[in-house]
Amino acid sequence: MSTVSWITARGLFGRRRFLMLLPLPAVLVLLAVLCRSLGVDPGEWAPPVLVGLGLAVVLPVVALIIGTGVLGAEIDDGTVVHILTKPLPRWQIVLPKLMVAAGVSAATVAVPLYVAGVLADSARLGLALAAASALGALAYSALFLALSLVTRRPVLLGLVYVLIWEGLLGNFVSGTKVLSIQQWVIALTDRMAPTALLSTTVSVPVAVVLTALVSVGFTVLAIDRLRSFSVAGETS
Amino acid sequence: MPEPTGVIHDIGYQRYTGPRLGRRHVFGALYLHGLRTVFGLGRSAKAKIFPWLVVGIVTVVAAGLAAVRSQLGEVVMTYAQFADAMSWLVIFFVAVAAPELVSRDLRSGVLPLYFSRPLPRDDYALAKLLSLVSALWLLLGGPQLVMFLAAAFTTSDGLRGTWNELLDLLPGLLYAGLWAVVFAAIGLLVASLTGKRAFAAGGIVAVFLMTTPIVGVLSILPSHAVNELAFLASPSTLVGGVGTWALGDLLVPEGQGGGMPIGSFGPVYAIVAVLLVTACTALLLLRYRKVAAR
Repeated sequence: MSTVSWITARGLFGRRRFLMLLPLPAVLVLLAVLCRSLGVDPGEWAPPVLVGLGLAVVLPVVALIIGTGVLGAEIDDGTVVHILTKPLPRWQIVLPKLMVAAGVSAATVAVPLYVAGVLADSARLGLALAAASALGALAYSALFLALSLVTRRPVLLGLVYVLIWEGLLGNFVSGTKVLSIQQWVIALTDRMAPTALLSTTVSVPVAVVLTALVSVGFTVLAIDRLRSFSVAGETS
Repeated sequence: MPEPTGVIHDIGYQRYTGPRLGRRHVFGALYLHGLRTVFGLGRSAKAKIFPWLVVGIVTVVAAGLAAVRSQLGEVVMTYAQFADAMSWLVIFFVAVAAPELVSRDLRSGVLPLYFSRPLPRDDYALAKLLSLVSALWLLLGGPQLVMFLAAAFTTSDGLRGTWNELLDLLPGLLYAGLWAVVFAAIGLLVASLTGKRAFAAGGIVAVFLMTTPIVGVLSILPSHAVNELAFLASPSTLVGGVGTWALGDLLVPEGQGGGMPIGSFGPVYAIVAVLLVTACTALLLLRYRKVAAR
């Protein structure tokens, strides 16, 4: 484990703020257990819990807060200068940070989704949800990490993507679903564990290719942006 | 020991002897400044992007609805349904505005400067809350006014049609006020917990979005009472429930699906909404007692 990833992990876990992320997965598990214990038909409760809460809210919001935090927090503080002045190639800064962000988000989201998936249908659905959401966490983290280098307001721009693109337009204009990480995760899950609970209009090959493309593309963009990064104060 | 020989020269500094404006003026200035901050007025172009993006989308939607209505004579959305349909944008607007209002002051450590003026701690928090409420009300009310003007000028019933339209608009504006109060109280409380705007924005969105699916789950549980009380779980549906109870047919005419299925629990919704706003405001004031003591 490199020093950069160690610093990043400590920056994430070292603050009490991190505890504020825990209610999100906890609510997910709680709702799944509640529905299961009351004997509600999984066909009714699984879509709102797994997709409506898990994949549409918990995964993007957790990935957004962590993904923009790993590098964005240091940029805000100005302490990113300390890392930038070390004789490290830029990719050795971006990749460890991306790995920590994706790993932490994946762990925070995949575990409750696994539990909810097992309660909803089978261990297979649980594993598929966990694996697909881990891939989704990687794609989201790469996107939000690159955003924190491209703009000074990464969280708001990320929220525009999550709320307006995936949330609002995804409901009304079906064409935007092709470019929605949430729909790719659903497609991947449905491929790994075919059930009647999840459905999407995006085909599996498209989802696979685009997930890989987004993960790699935005990582490369982040490395490139960090090469010519100029440190400035907080926006007014 | 020699006598001290230093003197203090009078170099002509003068005390301020003019009129001093009191607490009310400080409150008013802070309120106005807050309202301008929310929309990025008097600040750089970068600060205007996100607020005006939301204002732009909302206005374009309202203009589109008005155009459809004047051309085809079809009412796609009533004034209240418009507020409901814009809920995601309202959440985003709160996530943009609330951190600007309170998190920046926390982060840059200027609160002691504010409180060295004749400004009680409660006034600071209340002024910020009031400016967020006003901004949200303007955000929802402005487009409703656009829809009203379009409807009023294209009505074929003359003055009578305009009057009826106005009677439709007023409950809509009242309902927008309800949205504004509930969302501002919750959003500002979350934002006041952290000095980092990024975390504040994420926290606000998490709080609002996390609660919506809970409603979806509660409303399919095998209990009729729970189903009718399910809308309490999320701020946006709570507002809808109160609106259905208090304004009823004024908001959504019978032909368009009516309001929310809250059964006879209407008063419960109203009480919970009042309690929620009161609790959030009280916690906000408590928070500022603590922050100011640092």
